[in-house]
Amino acid sequence: MKKIILSTTLLAGMYFYSYAQCDTIASLCVKHITNNYISDGQQYRAMLLNPEETAEFHTTLFAETIYRFAACSGLKDGNLIFRVLDKDRNVLFTNQNYRNAPYWDFKSKSTIDVIIEAQLDPDRNPGSGCAVLLIGFRQK
Amino acid sequence: MKKVVFLYLPLIFVTTVSISSCGGKKEEQTDETKVLETQDTAKAGVLNVGGQLFSVPSPIQTAMFIQKLGLPFNKSLLFPANKSNAFNTDATRALMLGVYGADLGYVSMYNQTQEALSYLASIKQLADKLGISSAFDETTFKRFENNLTNKDSLVTLVGVAYRSSDNYLKNNKRLDISSLILLGGWLESMNIAIESYKAKNNEEIKRRIAEQKLTVNNLLQLITMNAPDQTDLIASLKELSLLYEKVEFKYKYVEPTTDTARKITYINSTNELVMDDATFKDILEKLQAFRNKITQSAS
Repeated sequence: MKKIILSTTLLAGMYFYSYAQCDTIASLCVKHITNNYISDGQQYRAMLLNPEETAEFHTTLFAETIYRFAACSGLKDGNLIFRVLDKDRNVLFTNQNYRNAPYWDFKSKSTIDVIIEAQLDPDRNPGSGCAVLLIGFRQK
Repeated sequence: MKKVVFLYLPLIFVTTVSISSCGGKKEEQTDETKVLETQDTAKAGVLNVGGQLFSVPSPIQTAMFIQKLGLPFNKSLLFPANKSNAFNTDATRALMLGVYGADLGYVSMYNQTQEALSYLASIKQLADKLGISSAFDETTFKRFENNLTNKDSLVTLVGVAYRSSDNYLKNNKRLDISSLILLGGWLESMNIAIESYKAKNNEEIKRRIAEQKLTVNNLLQLITMNAPDQTDLIASLKELSLLYEKVEFKYKYVEPTTDTARKITYINSTNELVMDDATFKDILEKLQAFRNKITQSAS
């Protein structure tokens, strides 16, 4: 019983710490969605317990719209690896090829459903961390 | 490799506590956490946890799409701004907060300053009644008022305000409210798209409506997980999802190209829409009936 109470207390502490951590990361990540991009109105977060874990997220990219994905973890840019895959899991993009760029733009010829995967870079963040993903679309 | 889905943090917590309380039996599933083992994840030997976060297209994006097609502003497409008092449950208020957000996006896109102010006032009233005025605080409204004449700033601010409210609601475990706001906003944006389609018979709008298949399924999962007591809404989304099952896409992968200097990747794959007229008609009718149901749900 004591073990359960202790672990619950510890986890509760971790939970509130996680919130604070995600909030801080999100507030830093917002800078990548610059004024010429409109936020999609949502904030996507995942707690990654180690670099082996991958967070997955499904979205639709509408044709001829320029999207910006910003993906952040930790207080510095470049801690998060993100990949964009099509529905057949063909890799369309990975920021690993671009020094873990914290943001990237996408324009699709047709409307397609994509999968975004995010993972902590083990070389930069061997522990756990909050992954934040923000999406914006360009006004003009 | 272990795989998780973008999650709401409260559910991570609940799940973790449940696991530790069960003597480490990671396989054990509870009603509370609704741990789902999908075929895909089962192969990988990991669990997908219910309550994941799903993407719903921004209503502003639909408004921008309509405006770029050159369609004129049409106030009659929108839900009247002065009706916010007619909604007196948290669920209907949350849905209407989404509806008014979509309408605000539309009027902002067309530089309708006076209309934007009216919708802002209604949004504030609803947010106050929902007890989430911190999500739409005075600073936000001041920023709106200061930018009323600048369309680009206004639409940007609408996106920022809704992202802030999404963040606030998630931090305060109001996942039901945040999900209902998304549903209301999406339904209103679809109503605007449908009415615009009817006015101009525009094929691009038709296609945009058909392309909502993933979104409908995302919304169904979102509401089922976060607002399970909303059985009517879930039933309507299930009916809509079944109709969208008849919409097909023929996908062909084409290698993307990347402009490193501009940090942009062009996705060249094609996705051909296959949909018969009867299916489209059924979808339009169901979408509008659904939207009208939520806007007439004042009790």
